[in-house]
Amino acid sequence: MTEVGARVLVVDDEPQIRRFLRLGLEGHGYEVLEATDAREGLRMAVARQPELLILDLGLPDRDGLDVLAELRGWSTIPVLVLSARGREAEKVRAFDLGADDYVVKPFGMAELLARVKAALRRRRAGAATEPVFRVGGLEVDLGRRAVLVDGAPVRLSPKQYRLLQALVAHAGKVLTHGQLLNEVWGPAHREDIQYLRVFVRKLRARLEADPARPRYLLTELGVGYRLCAPDQFDTLH
Amino acid sequence: MRAIPFLVSAAVVAVAGAATHLLSRFMPLPHVSVVFLAAVVASAILWGFWPSVFAAVLSVGVSSFFFYSPIFSFQVADLRDIADLVVFVVVAAWTSRLAANLREQSLLARRRREVVERLLAFSERVAGASGEEEVRAAIREYGGAGTDLEYETAFQVHAAIALERARLRREVNEARLRAQGEALREALLNSVSHDLRTPLATILGAATTLEGLGEATSPAVRRELAASLRQEAERLASYIENVLDLTRIRAGQIAPRLELVELSDIVNAALLRKQRALAAHRVEVSLPADLPMLRLDLFLMEQALANVLDNAAKYAPAGSAVSVEVARVGAEVRLRVSDEGPGMEAAELPHAFEPFFRGAGGAGRTASGSGLGLAICRAFVEANGGRVSLAGREGARGAVLEMYLPVPEGEADTMEVADDD
Repeated sequence: MTEVGARVLVVDDEPQIRRFLRLGLEGHGYEVLEATDAREGLRMAVARQPELLILDLGLPDRDGLDVLAELRGWSTIPVLVLSARGREAEKVRAFDLGADDYVVKPFGMAELLARVKAALRRRRAGAATEPVFRVGGLEVDLGRRAVLVDGAPVRLSPKQYRLLQALVAHAGKVLTHGQLLNEVWGPAHREDIQYLRVFVRKLRARLEADPARPRYLLTELGVGYRLCAPDQFDTLH
Repeated sequence: MRAIPFLVSAAVVAVAGAATHLLSRFMPLPHVSVVFLAAVVASAILWGFWPSVFAAVLSVGVSSFFFYSPIFSFQVADLRDIADLVVFVVVAAWTSRLAANLREQSLLARRRREVVERLLAFSERVAGASGEEEVRAAIREYGGAGTDLEYETAFQVHAAIALERARLRREVNEARLRAQGEALREALLNSVSHDLRTPLATILGAATTLEGLGEATSPAVRRELAASLRQEAERLASYIENVLDLTRIRAGQIAPRLELVELSDIVNAALLRKQRALAAHRVEVSLPADLPMLRLDLFLMEQALANVLDNAAKYAPAGSAVSVEVARVGAEVRLRVSDEGPGMEAAELPHAFEPFFRGAGGAGRTASGSGLGLAICRAFVEANGGRVSLAGREGARGAVLEMYLPVPEGEADTMEVADDD
């Protein structure tokens, strides 16, 4: 159950960033590999089989998003993307291409460690899907298709349940507007973000004690939504 | 058309002839020329000199033919009648001249009045014009008719003056903007040299202390140095973000991407981002669940609110309350952030949103503000179609910042989403 000892590959061309990432991660028991550009990063991702990749989007030889797309062609390894502020569109693209999380530079080590840990835990828990998902007072019984809030059953429409199901399947991970729309309404509706927003408002009204201050169905501003993972719930609330 | 005055003059003479004939039946008319003189003067006043000369010649013919013996002949026998005719011709010629002059003068006066009125109308249009383009439009409308040389001359002078004035006005405006820009650049330079150097000095100092003391430092000292490294680096990061935002605003590069969104998402995101800065404060949030969705740019609004929260965190003392209240007020949604800090003095409030303005009172000087947060906040809120205001708290210390955001029309429709298939 421990993430300590996991092998992490850092792909960043800035030596100072690599240095503090190595010191911070090694200090917490991780094994750290370093690559300075896209080519070396992809090569090491194949040869050294890391369990997690920290990928800077501003690489000298190739766009980090290209690297992510290529990597996703053959690997499901968790990828944590690093980028500068003010690049919201890039953030959405990174998630759409299959990034697991996103950290904006400059960032603190504590924040990065928390995200590394969460990504690795999701990865390891992913294989064995529990039949009942629980976070705080929310309980989703995937076998019986039943939803309980603080012990009381909640009626959801089939579409609402499908949206919740998609979020439960990736609990703790951000799903983009496009991914959710695709999953629940099909590929023809990938652009109907406003529709999704109104739909989420309705779902929150059923699940959340205070829909304006949600505790389970969280918004990732401009990107999508995330269902709070059980292990994140206590630190957040 | 030019024949009409002559034809009518002839008619008038004919009428005069007929009238003389009728009158002479009832009373003797020794000097018939008096009646014809009336006809000549009338013709001069109505149509000018040449028609009246024509009327006079006609009158001489008619009177000699019909009225002076021998009748029905152009011959005039009586010497007195000849004298009469001569006097008539002289007087007729003279009055024609005078009457025609009078007519020309009145025509001229009328035309002058029209010219003046048109120029006046043009001047009024130009005075109300806001730029050179409008002045040019007025010139196109009022000039170029090619009607009147006098008007054209006067008009061209007026038009040239109007254009010149518009150009000067633009240049004065540009100069003022340049001066403002230069003042801002200077303030920015001062700020950069102070707000960049101070945290850098602290960072360098703390880092070299850690390096130099090495193993000798106690864990408590190391923690303290690390904390000050982190705080100053964070301050530097937020300062650089602010300067970049300000630069974008000044360059006119703020292009809001407006979409229908939940204001609560924005408030929650800003609160989450400022969680650590506000860790020592009591944060109170009041967000109604039934707010309409608003047409906003998520990231500009989140930054605007984050800046306000930053100010509250910076200036209000630890342990005090920072409250965020959202409420619908008519056709707007009001977002109010109030703190229990020193607030601003009434005299400072009008300047609060100016870049690099820092309150002089209370903790304003000592805290590490750059004076950019509120300027950016206002620019971003206004880019979203909203407005901001800052006030003191009533009967207490503190600042109250309010953002008013418009509720989009037809917002009721946005909730109409077919729930299911």
